[in-house]
Amino acid sequence: MRRRVFTSMVLATTATLALSACGLDAGSSATAGRETITIYTSRPKGITEGVVKKFEAANPAYKIQLLTLGAQEVADRVRAESGRPQADVWWGGTSQQFDQGAAAGLLEAFPTDVVDRVPEKYRGKDNLWLAEQRLAEIIAYNHDLLNPDQAPKDWDDLIKPEFKDKILIRDVAASGTMRSIFSSMIYRTFQTTGTPDEGYAWLKGLDANTKDYTANPTDLYLRIQRQEAPLTIWNLQDIMLQSKAGVPFTPVVPASGAPILLDGIGKVKNAPHSAGADKFAAFLLQEQTQQSLAEQNYQIPTVALSQEPEWLSTLNLKEMPVDWKTVGSKDAEWIGYWVQNIKNRG
Amino acid sequence: MTVLDAKTTTSQKKPPSASAPRRRRTGTLSEKIGSDRFVYLLAAPVFVIILFFVVIPMAQTALFSTQGNGLASNYGTFFSGSSASALLLSVGISMASVVLCGILGTLLAVLLTRFEFPGRKALEVFALLPMALPPLIGAVSFVLLYSETGIVPRALHLWLGIPAASTSVTGIAGVLLVHTFTMYPFFYLSVSAGLAGLDSSLESAAANLGAGKIRIWATVLLPMLTPALVSGALLTFMISMASFTAPQLYNVQTLTMQIVSTRTSGAHELAAAQSTILSIVSILFLVSMRWYQGRRIHRSLSKGTQRDRAVSTGPVRYVAMIGSTVVSAVLLAPVLVIILVSFSIDSSWTTQVIPDQYTLQNYIRIFTDPRSLLPINVSVQMSLLATLAAALIGAAAAWIVARWKLGGKTVLDIAIMLPWALPGTVIGVNMVTAFNEPSPTNLGLTLVGTLWILPVAYFVRYVPLIFRSTGASLDQIDPSLEEAARNLGATPLRVLRTVTVPLIAKGILAGALLAFVDGVGEYVASVVIYPAGYVPMSVEIYNRIYSAEFGSAAAYGSLQIILILIVLIISNTLQRGRRTTKPRTTKSAALAAAPLS
Repeated sequence: MRRRVFTSMVLATTATLALSACGLDAGSSATAGRETITIYTSRPKGITEGVVKKFEAANPAYKIQLLTLGAQEVADRVRAESGRPQADVWWGGTSQQFDQGAAAGLLEAFPTDVVDRVPEKYRGKDNLWLAEQRLAEIIAYNHDLLNPDQAPKDWDDLIKPEFKDKILIRDVAASGTMRSIFSSMIYRTFQTTGTPDEGYAWLKGLDANTKDYTANPTDLYLRIQRQEAPLTIWNLQDIMLQSKAGVPFTPVVPASGAPILLDGIGKVKNAPHSAGADKFAAFLLQEQTQQSLAEQNYQIPTVALSQEPEWLSTLNLKEMPVDWKTVGSKDAEWIGYWVQNIKNRG
Repeated sequence: MTVLDAKTTTSQKKPPSASAPRRRRTGTLSEKIGSDRFVYLLAAPVFVIILFFVVIPMAQTALFSTQGNGLASNYGTFFSGSSASALLLSVGISMASVVLCGILGTLLAVLLTRFEFPGRKALEVFALLPMALPPLIGAVSFVLLYSETGIVPRALHLWLGIPAASTSVTGIAGVLLVHTFTMYPFFYLSVSAGLAGLDSSLESAAANLGAGKIRIWATVLLPMLTPALVSGALLTFMISMASFTAPQLYNVQTLTMQIVSTRTSGAHELAAAQSTILSIVSILFLVSMRWYQGRRIHRSLSKGTQRDRAVSTGPVRYVAMIGSTVVSAVLLAPVLVIILVSFSIDSSWTTQVIPDQYTLQNYIRIFTDPRSLLPINVSVQMSLLATLAAALIGAAAAWIVARWKLGGKTVLDIAIMLPWALPGTVIGVNMVTAFNEPSPTNLGLTLVGTLWILPVAYFVRYVPLIFRSTGASLDQIDPSLEEAARNLGATPLRVLRTVTVPLIAKGILAGALLAFVDGVGEYVASVVIYPAGYVPMSVEIYNRIYSAEFGSAAAYGSLQIILILIVLIISNTLQRGRRTTKPRTTKSAALAAAPLS
């Protein structure tokens, strides 16, 4: 009998819980009278939340709802919702992801006053998306394991025998960033020879020295920090942020230059709060916002800053020239070849 | 004496020629439907729901896969190159996972239901612990334990001087390790339910007839457990085929990894083709399992009675004690690692075997932020709602399929199991595409952007779990039990309530448990569909990992573990109550089967 009482109690509680949806009104009272802008972002929370807080303080008529997802998931979601868009702003993603989105008709241009803040070379086709920042791709090492003299100085040092099994790399095929880095490594020789073969040979050498490919950036940070291997290739901003958080990372800007990717922002086509999206982009791309992002979050803005942040001037960042259009058109072929013929075979 | 007390058992082997089923099909349609009108009456709404939420969205994906470069080009990639090897690798890993999970899950189930030894009660709780492992962090915990820089290889190195690299688990072995220790509950739960449904008089009879222990297991017990084993094998195979986190962490290029990289490169039609192939492989496995199970039917006419546990004595007792301690430790380890990390200071754990600096800060950060409890609330309520709906529809569908006499049984089975065979991302994208704007295929229902899309997606994903585990319980019961009740004058509903449901309750509960627990930890589909403002728990964990707050992600994970443990303890209490009142329920079930005056 006691069991039956217990059972029915559990069942009743379960049913009530399931059907009541209690506490799930997500602060609707707080949003009363304010327009809610929805932003899909793949940028780290630490950065996005800071910007949002400042935007809401400056524009009390708006409230921002942030959805933080992986870069590819943002692209998937925007694509899947294209019939009835839910998002207003798509914030963060590689130029390739934005180009694909633009080609699929998922984006619309911000108004001219916003577009004009970004130099022309940092805009997508028909201004459908704008680059917010420039991501330098660099070498980084764990300074508890290597001293500055031992660390590699340039890309070609990475394939030297002394670094055998000393490199961990974020798995390539599923990462927009890694695809771009590997493609630009191929592009270094492709631009003169017209074939990817030397690039493939170089990547094979890199694969031979690569101890393992990690599942995601966090896995990469953890394993380098736990001294499984001292070296990696990754983007400067994340390395600087990790290092600020206490991870023993030191970045190396390769002597021959770092490929610099664009990280973009775009307005979703038929966005439910189009005017709000414009307001947000205008706020994000104003010099003041970018100045503080550059100083506090190691961002290299595309909008001109009157004062270069100190960390950037000491770094002597040199850009490796890459024609991203060519790379974008070859990316699927090159990375496909790498996955099939080079990965774990060097 | 009622039928239930008679304890007769039919263990019929179908003759190789299909004469028996054919004989059944010779009757006219009305004749066949006649006595079972109730089945077909119930079937209609159940299958409309499944068609609407499952089949049509999946068909849209298959259709999409013929676009882009075209059908031939998209599917041609499977005959050469990386798609082909990824497919082979996926199938190989899934097969191996089935075998390993089968061995571990069945052994544990037999050990815990049949034997009494020191440490049994603790092991019984720990056996369910892997279900409490949150995805993402759960898989990461295996890496923290067994990789080259992990706790175990480092400890072995420290104590015994063995180089850490030689004891670390990597690559395919790593994937199998994670699969085995996270998926064996599919076997463990269904075999436990199956053993509970067994009648011990069968064994006694076999023993009286002179059969040895091995012979009894080979000819009586294992054949009776076929439905449970098939159910476990199916769930394990399909979920391994669709598994993504483990191959990703161990860097093994399976088909799911391939799908993600194809999507990243922008070839969405090719990715759809790869998803379609993935589900076709799972469907083939389903069909072959059905065929295998159909060849041998072993049913019991009695309600199962719990056999007394064999008590181990003498030296065996100590061996059992040490054995169960080791197994408990292995099962407990991943959970303990997460809890350990949740108290550690971010970035402080470098070359030590275990972290050496601890803090409460990670928990303080969660509990001082008022918004951080919302994800827990969202996940619990949404998966609860989905589990209730899935239990209703899944159990009904299982009963309908088990009693279905017309053709097309396999098609129904496939339709229901489909969502389990697809990677979560594909389900998510399917749901969004299907319920995005009003159209004829969704009858004008739009779910995108509303809270409803979460429970609907969880529902679609978890109906197969309950369907399978209920089906396994149903397959052990001879339909003549229901027929007897009908003959005695009970209405179909009354038969369902007093005979069928009590006999399969354990199966439904096992499935519902798996569904709820999985729902609370679901990530891959949730991340594509969750409406703004309602972040599910595992998405929140991912976000924290992503913003390098690993410690607070682990703290969140620990809360998730505690939550799931509470659910497990409640359901265990429900079942224990059932066991202690066993003699009485047997009697009352027998009485209940008697006609009403």
